[in-house]
Amino acid sequence: MSPNRAWARQLAALAAFLALWEGAARAGLVNPFFLPPPSKVGGVLLTLLSEGSIWPHLYATFLAAFLGLLAGIGAGAVLGFAGALAAYVAELLVPVMILLNAVPRVILAPLFVIWLGIDIESKVALSFVLVAVVMFFAVYSGIKDVDRRLIERVKTLGGGRWVLLREVYLPSVVVWVMGGMKVAVGFAFTGAVVGEFVASSRGLGYLLSFAQSTYNAALSIALVLLVIAFVLLLFGAADLLERRLLRWKYR
Amino acid sequence: MLRVSKVTLSYGAEPVLEGASLKVETGQFTSLVGPSGSGKSSLLRVVMGLQRPKAGLIDLAAGLGQVGILFQDDALLPWRTARENVALGLRARGASKPEAGREAVSWLWRMGLAGFEERYPRELSGGQRKRVAIAQVLALRPSLLLMDEPFASLDAIVRHRLTQDLLRWVEHEKLSVLLVTHDLEEASQGPRASVRECYHVPIPRPRDLVQARAHPAFGPLLGRLWQDLSEEVGELHAATIQPLRREA
Ligand SMILES: Nc1ncnc2c1ncn2[C@@H]1O[C@H](COP(=O)(O)OP(=O)(O)O)[C@@H](O)[C@H]1O
Ligand SMILES: [Mg+2]
Repeated sequence: MSPNRAWARQLAALAAFLALWEGAARAGLVNPFFLPPPSKVGGVLLTLLSEGSIWPHLYATFLAAFLGLLAGIGAGAVLGFAGALAAYVAELLVPVMILLNAVPRVILAPLFVIWLGIDIESKVALSFVLVAVVMFFAVYSGIKDVDRRLIERVKTLGGGRWVLLREVYLPSVVVWVMGGMKVAVGFAFTGAVVGEFVASSRGLGYLLSFAQSTYNAALSIALVLLVIAFVLLLFGAADLLERRLLRWKYR
Repeated sequence: MLRVSKVTLSYGAEPVLEGASLKVETGQFTSLVGPSGSGKSSLLRVVMGLQRPKAGLIDLAAGLGQVGILFQDDALLPWRTARENVALGLRARGASKPEAGREAVSWLWRMGLAGFEERYPRELSGGQRKRVAIAQVLALRPSLLLMDEPFASLDAIVRHRLTQDLLRWVEHEKLSVLLVTHDLEEASQGPRASVRECYHVPIPRPRDLVQARAHPAFGPLLGRLWQDLSEEVGELHAATIQPLRREA
C-alpha cells in the first residue's frame, strides 16, 4: 500500500466504475435514455471536439470565467487589503461583503443580464462577484492575522510604511490569494456557466440548457466532463503559479 | 546610554509594570533578571516604542536608530532569504540593493553562515536562524543592544557557542547591552545583574561561560541571585506586585 501507487489504484477504481456502468447499461439494468453508457458519452464528446462546433462555446465560457477570475482576484485582493489596513474602509466593506457572502450570489444573474445584456459582459460580472467576495475574505482575514512579530521586527530594523508594505504585507497577500485560488477558480466557472444558463447565445452553459431542453443526457454529461477538464487545467496552472510565487515554501 | 524612569504599563486592567526604572551606562553590560511573566519583554517593547506606557519616561541618548533588539524568538521573514533578511534593515536605512546585499553577505560570513546566504529561513536550523537574526541586528551597527532571552529556545551547545560569538563582538565593539532573562546563568554574563539590587560580577573579562562557571565567585553570586529572586517571586504571589520596579 505505498502512497505513490495511489494513482494506479484510483485509476483502477475509475476503470471498474466505468466498466460497471457500461455493463449495466448494456444489460438493460439502467435506462440509457437517462443514464447513457460511457461509450455513448465518449462518442458525443469526440464528435463535439472533432466537429469543431464546440470551440466557440468553450472559448466563450473560458474567456468569461478567466476574465471574471482575474478581475475578481484583483478587486478582492485590493479591497481586502484596504479593509485590513484602514478601519473606516472595513466599516463600509465588511457588512456588504458579509451580506454578499450570505446570499447565493448567482441570484444576481438575471439582474446582470438586464443591465449588461446576454453577451459575455453579464457572465464576467457574475463570475467577478462570485470570486471577488471569496478573495476579499481570504485577503482581509489573511492580512489581519499577519504575524505581529514580523511587523515589529521590520519596524525595529527601521522599516517605515513602505518597507512594511513591500516586505510584509504584499508577500502575505500573495500567500492568501494563492490559498484562495482553487475556490476562486471553481467560483469563476460557476459564474460563467450559470450566467450562460440564464440567458445567452453561446457557451457551455448555453449548450447545457439546450441539452436539458432536448432531454439529451449524453450531451449533458459530456459538457459536465468538459467543464471539469477546464477546471482541472486551471488548477494545474494555479499550482505552477503557486510554486513559482511561493518558492520559499516549496523549494 | 539608556534611562528608563518610572514606567507604568498595563494591558487592560492587569498592571504589568509599576514604576519600573533602570539605567544602562555607555559601554556597560547590564542584565535584568525576572521570572517569566514579570514584564521583561513588555519593558523592552516600551523602550523600542512598540508599546505606549501609561506613565514614565524613556531617555535614549542616541535615538532609536542606534538601538538594536534581539527578540525572544527569531521571526525572520519566511519569504526572504538569509541575505535578504539581513539586508532589510540596511535597505530601510537607504542603502542601495547591491550595497545592502554585499554588506549582508559579509555579516552572514562573520556569523559563520558562509554558504547559507540564499537559504530561506525554513531551510535553516534554529541556531542558524538565530545567527541570521543577530546578523540582521548587528549589521545596523547599533550602539545599544537589547536582548530578550535571546538564546532561550536553543540547546545548550549551540547556545554556548552563540553566546561566546555574540559576547566577543560586544566586547570588541564596546557595545552597551541590556540583557533581559529569567536565566541567572545567562544574566551573569554581564557585570551588572539586577533583581532589586545591583550586583557586581567580579569575574574578569572577556569571559568564557565554562570558565566563568568554574570561577570561585560564581557559585555564591548565583546563590544570592536565586535567593533574591525567589523572594521577589514570593512577593509576586503574595501581593500580586510585579517585581521589576526597582532601580537596577
Ligand atoms: N499583548 C499583551 N496583551 C495582554 N497581556 C500581555 C501582553 N503581553 C504580555 N502580557 C502579559 O503581561 C505580563 C508580562 O509579560 P511579558 O512582558 O511577556 O513578561 P516576561 O517577558 O517577563 O516573561 C504577563 O502576565 C503577560 O501575560
Ligand atoms: Mg519575555
